[in-house]
Amino acid sequence: MDYVYTILILIGLFVILASSFDLVIGHCGLISIAHPIFYAIGAYVSAMLSKQSGMPVPLSILCGGVGALLASALVAVPALRVSGDYLLIASIGFQLGLIELAKHFHEIGGAGGLTNIPSFLIKDFGRETYVVLVLALAVVTVLFIRWLTQGPYGRMMTAMRDDELAFSMLGRNAIWIKVAVFAIGSGIAGIAGGLYAHYFRFLEPDQFGLLQSSAVLTMVVVGGMRTTMGPVIGAIVLQLMPQIITFFNLPPSILGPLQGLLFTGLVLFFMFVRPQGLLAAADLWVGHKPQGDAGHSGKEACS
Amino acid sequence: MSATLEIRGLCKSFGGIVVADSIDLDLVAGRVLGLIGPNGAGKTSLFNLVCGVVKPDAGLVMLDGQSFEGLPTYQRARMGLARTWQNLRLFPSLTVIDNLMLGPRAYSADRLVDVLFRPAQIRAHEAEARDRALDILERTGLSPIARSRVQDISFGQQKLVGVARALMNDARCLLLDEPMAGVEGQTYALIQKAVRDIAASGVAICVVEHNVAFIRDLCDEGVFMFAGKVLARGSVEQLIADPHLTELYFGT
Repeated sequence: MDYVYTILILIGLFVILASSFDLVIGHCGLISIAHPIFYAIGAYVSAMLSKQSGMPVPLSILCGGVGALLASALVAVPALRVSGDYLLIASIGFQLGLIELAKHFHEIGGAGGLTNIPSFLIKDFGRETYVVLVLALAVVTVLFIRWLTQGPYGRMMTAMRDDELAFSMLGRNAIWIKVAVFAIGSGIAGIAGGLYAHYFRFLEPDQFGLLQSSAVLTMVVVGGMRTTMGPVIGAIVLQLMPQIITFFNLPPSILGPLQGLLFTGLVLFFMFVRPQGLLAAADLWVGHKPQGDAGHSGKEACS
Repeated sequence: MSATLEIRGLCKSFGGIVVADSIDLDLVAGRVLGLIGPNGAGKTSLFNLVCGVVKPDAGLVMLDGQSFEGLPTYQRARMGLARTWQNLRLFPSLTVIDNLMLGPRAYSADRLVDVLFRPAQIRAHEAEARDRALDILERTGLSPIARSRVQDISFGQQKLVGVARALMNDARCLLLDEPMAGVEGQTYALIQKAVRDIAASGVAICVVEHNVAFIRDLCDEGVFMFAGKVLARGSVEQLIADPHLTELYFGT
């Protein structure tokens, strides 16, 4: 049963990661693949605060989220002031640099990893409670991002993505929108990181490298960018797939490469056959239906 | 009569190409000024300099006595500057009304902190923006296509949406870059009426336009630009009648 719980928790955490990453890369159009580093920052900050200073775990997880949020601003503010393209470079540099740093920093476990992270809920209430907590937060995250992107702020992000110069000429500050979305997306990832740390109770820097970046990116792309359920489906499919093939009782020498191939194959398949992902985003932003205004669509109105 | 927008000694060159050569220009509230000149005279560049899209080498621009120096585009817009674009630059992923609803000067939905923690204020701003957009769409005759996507409407209507969107921020000064190019018939008349109405409400307007008929129909005054310089200012009739300017314009 623990096996099922662990998979459910991983699914929940990756739903949070993929959805928040879609907010950044899909809805806001910020090209960065360093999302897992903010997951890592949340995990390490929460782990260290609870382990070293005995901070209550819920509070330390929250601090992990805030830490990731603030760290993201360190990357985004200078990078976005120059030009959006620099964000990709700056964020990868930040990700790889921080991982290297963590490997040589023995206070947080170094390359061998950080062990004995305090657990949360599991001892007193059982693993089920933790599963419920993670899945509930996953649902809250998905609903929050849906609310944000379909409201006035979503309209702003859509316009900015379409034409940043015209958007600025309307008196809108594009840089702050980008910094804010990058921060909130990273903060959400940080909270997921804290939840990860206190369940698995072990962290090592290499977990949060480019391999994980590509996994989260694949979830978003395969599921469907800029859709509510796309990243959710992507996270579920990509978490379950490697688990399912382990049931085929293949020798490890085949299983390992097969999982990698399946992953790459999936990306290639979607690139050629269905680039919009499993769920395709509408090319027109509609938003919440304002009161007394339902039932209008672009097609009807222009005929 | 003091000017709404004052341009003083504005200079800009890209490498050896001079697009603005110490330009002095005043735009006056309630009046429409036409910028005339051949391609490459620096008309659109002047707009870009005023908007802060391009940084000047020297000179300054003031709106209602306040200097634009060093301010980014969005702050100039918030101080009351609006413009349309030669190549439209509408937001294709939004409907016509949503294109407009981004525009009010005081509309805090671009601040995430306000969106998260001041929902009541956002709702109020959203309602104001919607009312204002509906009002402007009504006045510009665009109400029937309010919920169409911008790529589904005619080119002339798209131009009109560009003007309507620029009106949303209640600007003191409006720059129109070729509002009539490629527009005919009923929409032509609609844009003309819209521009006259805006001017009548006390906005200073500057129009770049190749259509001389439109300049004549619409502008109170014209300025002839050539190679980044303002060569002459006067009534449109006078400018058109000047054989020297005509020669520069047609390049004979």
